[in-house]
Amino acid sequence: MTLEQEYARRYEHALQPAAVSLQELIVDYLTGLPRIDRVTVRAKSVERFLKKAEAVVEGEPKYSEPMSQIQDQIGARVVTFYLADVEAVAGRIRKYMNPIEIKTLVPDSESEFGYVGQHFILLLPTDVSAKIPEADALLPPFFELQVKTLFQHAWAEANHDLLYKPVFALSADQRRKVAFTAAQSWGADMIFEELHQTGART
Amino acid sequence: MKVQAIHSFLVHPDKGQEEQTTIGGTRVTGQNRLVEMLTDVFTAAPEECKHDIYFLPNDAGEQKNECRDLLLAYVNGPSKANGLKLAQRLQSVTTHRSKLGLMFVIVGRKDALKRIVVSRFPADHGILADEKDANLNVEFVERVFMQSATAYKSAVYEGTSGAHFWKGRAIDKQINSDVSVANYWIREFLKSDFAVTGAAGTRRFAVSLRDAIAAADTVATKQELSSLAHLLLNIDGQVKNTAQILHEFHMSPAAGLLIRNQFPSEKVYAESFKFTADEFRQHIAFRSVELDNGALLTASASGFDDVFTRQQTGNQVRFSTVGSVIDDKLRKTKS
Repeated sequence: MTLEQEYARRYEHALQPAAVSLQELIVDYLTGLPRIDRVTVRAKSVERFLKKAEAVVEGEPKYSEPMSQIQDQIGARVVTFYLADVEAVAGRIRKYMNPIEIKTLVPDSESEFGYVGQHFILLLPTDVSAKIPEADALLPPFFELQVKTLFQHAWAEANHDLLYKPVFALSADQRRKVAFTAAQSWGADMIFEELHQTGART
Repeated sequence: MKVQAIHSFLVHPDKGQEEQTTIGGTRVTGQNRLVEMLTDVFTAAPEECKHDIYFLPNDAGEQKNECRDLLLAYVNGPSKANGLKLAQRLQSVTTHRSKLGLMFVIVGRKDALKRIVVSRFPADHGILADEKDANLNVEFVERVFMQSATAYKSAVYEGTSGAHFWKGRAIDKQINSDVSVANYWIREFLKSDFAVTGAAGTRRFAVSLRDAIAAADTVATKQELSSLAHLLLNIDGQVKNTAQILHEFHMSPAAGLLIRNQFPSEKVYAESFKFTADEFRQHIAFRSVELDNGALLTASASGFDDVFTRQQTGNQVRFSTVGSVIDDKLRKTKS
């Protein structure tokens, strides 16, 4: 069986139904938290999985066992209104789910603007795997969860779309424009957070 | 699965000590009773280790765990030197309360699947009785290491590659002791935690209990299940699985089955979690009893039996309570 066939089977029989079940569970866990714009969970498509599996680092394949090593075969995202809501969601997630990785992604230096987000690699709850036949063989033990504000999410989506367009190399000026939009997104989050905090005090 | 290597190390209680005792270790080989016994420990470990656990990330939140690294090093190279590093780690977290122990590391494989078992047998003392020619010699012996019913600890991990071995199973007969003893094996040595958080496990149990009450078709079963809600607050902070809870509170087979049926699988039903009373109260806050005369009595689930006095006469029951009225409501529905 080729990697494509193996993953396609996993995608159809395990990842897709697990994603539906996981979405319900996360929504349930977040019940009562305000200002959550959306909760989405998706199974990584066969095409995207294969593309990732082919990644090369310093001339060597990045993944020797992509079926085991790629941990975002199921990806979840929670989008909130304000920065403080990201913290609240992250706290609730930690209460109910266990991480093997917690990452706050920020640009490398204070003078740069770019991708921002709170990422977790979490154990896939047995509430989800229990509903999937052959779960032990087909389901990965982990999934990725990203928690972002609306602005962080909007910027990341547009940026991803531009970067993944084939034969589209950004010029220095265009890269500066992308950084500018990231800065605006960062600024909008800061101002909305301030306004929200001010509103919360009055 | 065939055992490939066994190493044993004498682990002293050296937690907090600058000078760590030199650890004696040996490879256990041959065809003898000890190897047979340890092979049995290895074979039985997946069944015997009841608690699902996982390795915690490091303090920076990265996918790196120092104990997992040591276990993986032993899996990939089952040498005395690699086993010694695990023993040194165990020794550095062992207090005098946990005493001297004998640690065994056992690795085996079947095809690509590898398994590692780490066990700790606590030191005990006993009497050696030697019968010879109708005579009996008795002798006090120290440093006897037993698979103790009260202090035995073990952990088992399986996988086919380094990407695995994040999740495992453990047994710790002192899991419900005070914090320092309870944390010793899983939290401190294995740098792990239960795979199901206390909140998630308690929430799942509470929802199952609530759904079981709704599904019960006799008043007696509903009452039995409702009473459990009150009693459960006594196990706050204890590690249990659902089957244990039902057994310890002597639930009837009918009530137990109703709860079991709310779980999606036997595996989930058998998962251990730390019962958290605060979380439980969030999901089972109120208990309501409805009488055939139209009365509907409601109180907090934990306090219902204290708030209402109940007198049973045949099929009839009289509830009574005394207090000051602080509110009066009209509602659209009963619940």
